Amino acid sequence: MKTFEYTITDPVGIHARPAGLLVKAVKEHASKVTITKKNPDGTEKSADAKKLLALMNLGIKQGDTVTVSVDGEDEDDTFEAISRFMSENL
Amino acid sequence: MALDYRKCAEDIAKYVGGRENLVSAAHCATRLRLVVVDNNKIDVKAIENTDGVKGTFNSNGQFQIIIGTGTVNKVYDEFLDITGMSAATKDDVKAAAAAKAPVWRRMLKTVGDVFVPILPAIVASGLMMGLVEALGKAIPGFSGTAWYGFLDMAANTAFAFLPVIVAISSARVFGGNIFLGAVIGLLMVHPNLTNGWNAAQGYDVWYMFGHGLKIGNYTFGQINQLGYQGHVIPVIMAVWLMSQIEKWLHKHIPEILDLFVVPLVTVLLTGLVTFMFIGPIFSTAETYILKFAEWLVTVGYGVGAAAMGALYPFTVVMGLHHMYNVIEAGMLSSAEFNNLNIWMPIASAANFAQFGACLAVGIKTKNAKRRSVAVPSSLSASLGITEPAIFGVNLRLLRPFVGGVIGGAVGAWFGSVMGLGATAYGVTGIPGYLTINHPLTYTIMLLISGGIAFGITFTSWREDPDDDDNKKPVENKSIGQSIADVPVELGKVCIKSSGGDVAQPINGTVIPYTKIQDETFASGALGQGVGIEPGDSEIVYAPFDGTISSVAESKHAIGITGPNDQELLIHVGIDTVEMNGDGFTPYVKEGDTVKTGQPILRFDREKIKAAGHPATVVVLLTNSDDFDDVRYGSDLNK
Repeated sequence: MKTFEYTITDPVGIHARPAGLLVKAVKEHASKVTITKKNPDGTEKSADAKKLLALMNLGIKQGDTVTVSVDGEDEDDTFEAISRFMSENL
Repeated sequence: MALDYRKCAEDIAKYVGGRENLVSAAHCATRLRLVVVDNNKIDVKAIENTDGVKGTFNSNGQFQIIIGTGTVNKVYDEFLDITGMSAATKDDVKAAAAAKAPVWRRMLKTVGDVFVPILPAIVASGLMMGLVEALGKAIPGFSGTAWYGFLDMAANTAFAFLPVIVAISSARVFGGNIFLGAVIGLLMVHPNLTNGWNAAQGYDVWYMFGHGLKIGNYTFGQINQLGYQGHVIPVIMAVWLMSQIEKWLHKHIPEILDLFVVPLVTVLLTGLVTFMFIGPIFSTAETYILKFAEWLVTVGYGVGAAAMGALYPFTVVMGLHHMYNVIEAGMLSSAEFNNLNIWMPIASAANFAQFGACLAVGIKTKNAKRRSVAVPSSLSASLGITEPAIFGVNLRLLRPFVGGVIGGAVGAWFGSVMGLGATAYGVTGIPGYLTINHPLTYTIMLLISGGIAFGITFTSWREDPDDDDNKKPVENKSIGQSIADVPVELGKVCIKSSGGDVAQPINGTVIPYTKIQDETFASGALGQGVGIEPGDSEIVYAPFDGTISSVAESKHAIGITGPNDQELLIHVGIDTVEMNGDGFTPYVKEGDTVKTGQPILRFDREKIKAAGHPATVVVLLTNSDDFDDVRYGSDLNK
């Protein structure tokens, strides 16, 4: 499993459209990608990045830092692709 | 419009695979709900093409067929008859039991059914009227001010036009067209007629068929030019008649002439019969009851007063109480009564007893909705406006009404033997203190009548947990629409897949997602589905039974998860995330369970337009990859 942290720069956060793009990008790979958001109160909320509604439900906004974990057979490829996708789009 | 229920039921029975494929059948306000053995044996297309069927969907293991209010029960009856099934659900058994109840009981229930939906209007007016009248009496000179004039007008609006409100509600109860019902109600308080409150000052009569046929004082075909202000029962009767005429005509008039003939004949015929027969019967009855009441209160030893105290609420039910001002005014100017209004204590006792009974219901009930009706209604009754308490609470439950009758009788008897009287007329209950001759005795009388009614109600009335009120469709308070009123567009399906149907959540023009004016949506990245250009609608309804899985912080997008894990995104407008929630009002929150047709979001099209965005409502099955045979668009309904 590989993880990385990323701070969202998209002004609308991970809302419908960016979320949809992310889901689409993740779905091209076999690995399971989980996005975890730390709340200010210390609790965490995670979502399967292949599930749009779950992802949107995290309510990730601009400036939020999320942990992305990638787990699976093609995790190196996936890691590479997703981190690039996020820095380009989010 | 004329629907052959038998034929409709036969077709449905045939296309769902006959009796052997059916487990159970029930119906709600609009839909036939079938549990079937094998969904694959259902010929959905054929059912949807059946005359009378507005749409179908599969939900929570039930195959639901939308037929419509007022018709679904008839189709259901035929359906049971054809398939030989029995109405086995609890509700159905109750309905069957209700049909066997004595006529008077069913009539009481009908009056209650008519009144409960309109209670907000009359409770507000009742309270305001009581307060305004009290202020008018309490503050010298206030009744001449502009404020009083306006407040008085605003307060009595619902009562002045009560027949209109009652007529609309009655039309709904009897299955007539509510707008025709409104016309009948309006006709009954038409400004060309003498106001019903002023009946005692005389009114003109039209003789439609001359003076040929006379029965006593009544000339056949006479129409009293008298409005029905303050009346309830004649209005319910008139609208019942209207609904019967309308339904009969719908059945017998060819469809091509339907819209042209049915409303015209319905209104004309109902109007004529109402004014020629129902009206005169009530006017005559009123005259006699008034004479009887005038005589009754003069019977000695308080006996007459007690009898009147008991009868008083019945006369409220009939809408006669507004004529009592005549009696009161007569007493004030008559030496026989020492210029004292001895009617007022009787009316006060009767009204306050209804207050006590209603309050007891409000305290004892476990049903929050009933309490929310009973408490303000009782307050209004304590100020002398008893219609909300009587019609909305006491009469429906019967025992509180009886308690009120007994309390009223005893209180009125006490008031009479103690020589209570008022020096003016127009107010009862608590405001009555302003006009009463012995405030202390008056207090005791109110305590007696209110206390007895409260005690009887509190000890003898038991709440039936299966009561109608406990299974009324949930009302959405914010927009006042009940779930039973499933909008027409929900009869249409906009996405079909192996996961189930998605009803069209808002009226408008449906386009495939590929045509949505947004690259991402059109690319299918967020799933397959449709865009809907909303017509005049601004409310989004739940397109299937499910759970709200997300409501965007900017309120313009809602995710719903269905029973087969269908994840649906409803996104209102393009780029509307930029509006930061301004113009969007969600009615649900994350985790809420929703039923098909429940309003979930309201949006302001003007604001979206002003912000420079298209208002396209995007409906996407976000996990459409997980389902087979995904189809979408407007032609699913052809």
